[in-house]
Amino acid sequence: MSDAWTERLSEYIDRILPEGECVALEAHLEACASCRATLDELRRVVARARALDDRPPATDLWPGIATGIGLAPGAHPVVSLVQRRARRRFAFTVPELAAAAIALAILSGGAAWLVLRGSKAVPVATTATPAPMPMLVNAGAPGTNARYAAAVADLERALEQGRGRLDTATVRVIEKNLSIIDRAIREAQSALAADPGNAYLNLHLAEQMRRKLELLRRANALAGARS
Amino acid sequence: MLATLATLTALALGAPQQTDTTLPVRSGARLEVENFGGEIAVKTWSRSAVRVTASHSSRDRIEIGASDAGLHVKAEGHRGPPHVVDYEITVPAWMALNLSGVYTDINVEGAQGEITAETVHGAVKVSGGSGNVSLKSVQGAVTLEKARGRIDLYSVNEEIKASDVSGDLTAETVNGDITLRQIESSNAEANTVNGDITYDGTIRDGGRYRFSTHDGSLRVSVPEKANVAVSVSTFNGEFNSCFPVQLTGKAKHRFNFTIGSGSARLELESFDGDIKICPPGAVAKEE
Repeated sequence: MSDAWTERLSEYIDRILPEGECVALEAHLEACASCRATLDELRRVVARARALDDRPPATDLWPGIATGIGLAPGAHPVVSLVQRRARRRFAFTVPELAAAAIALAILSGGAAWLVLRGSKAVPVATTATPAPMPMLVNAGAPGTNARYAAAVADLERALEQGRGRLDTATVRVIEKNLSIIDRAIREAQSALAADPGNAYLNLHLAEQMRRKLELLRRANALAGARS
Repeated sequence: MLATLATLTALALGAPQQTDTTLPVRSGARLEVENFGGEIAVKTWSRSAVRVTASHSSRDRIEIGASDAGLHVKAEGHRGPPHVVDYEITVPAWMALNLSGVYTDINVEGAQGEITAETVHGAVKVSGGSGNVSLKSVQGAVTLEKARGRIDLYSVNEEIKASDVSGDLTAETVNGDITLRQIESSNAEANTVNGDITYDGTIRDGGRYRFSTHDGSLRVSVPEKANVAVSVSTFNGEFNSCFPVQLTGKAKHRFNFTIGSGSARLELESFDGDIKICPPGAVAKEE
């Protein structure tokens, strides 16, 4: 993406772009489908981020912390989270958008795994000696690698423990399709290495990574359903 | 020897048995069927009643639970999980259906209510449905026709086909083609990793359409008089159009063009395949 306006879309969404530039950007959007597409993607990510449940903690932890570090609990008033939330902005550049898309996928995949774990302990399989599931190496946009790899590893570990409850045909299908997605991820990474700023390649890689998390999540749900 | 084997098999599986029950249902009731292995075939009639016929082993028992919400049908094994059960169920056309299985084929004919059908190893084939229609299989093809509403089609290792469908449509598989024909939608999205996508349907003003594959080709219908802004992205493929288009905003691996007012949005993405647009009816996949 070489469009000069692309980097300003985030400010536009946040309504902090100067009015004159707003008008110019809106005129540009009329003619630029690519920027409109990117703007839509940004809005989708923002909408999903805003839809995340953002509950306050059930217990106020500050008094304990204050005591622990030798402060009087009332001496340093806590900033209102409600007010901060109200001021919160969600601003992304295009590479950040790709990372945000992956992060949201990690959140939903991880949440599903936690639900599974929480509802039913996953016993260690005793019926088979499973081969290792395919593991994604070095995937993801900068800054997202570690969290994504950790989320994938968590789900793979859970699946490893639950695979004894899946029949061999299902395991074969899941492994085959994970390897198809892994190949797509590697190809997208390789293309992105040669063209790091490419919005399409960024989003395409994020999409394939999301798919891997989604398939792992579904595989875990299948294993959980059969326990 | 063969006779002995047959006798032993019959003893192990139990003798074949047929269950045939008809129960009245109130308007708005839902039917839920769970079947570990076999088939769930649903057809419709005009009576406010559900008829359940099941072919199963004499060692299994068919349980039909009735409540204000509807009917719940499942099999219980004498010891352990039930054997193969083939259900043939007749329901009022309006009845909402929630069908699930593991080694199970699911077939629905003529339903007019909401449908959820999910299996692991087996095909899902549905004709009819309205409102939320969700069909899923891991290892099996998913086929839908004559449905309207919010349509969600998912497979992992097989193809997805939809035809004569209207409403919001999402189709996703990992390893299989997606073929969408006679689609009337303002919001359609299809994506696969390893497969082709064909879309032959409407491009409505203000609509949003997104088709994406990693390793496959796209064939998408676009009326020459549509009002649509098209974004094309491909890393290693070519773009072809059956009619002339004026490219704008061309960047590496990505370009755009607008037809008419551009009020609809169409995103076409194939990492490693060709993309082709043609007028409706001319996007048939070349065999």
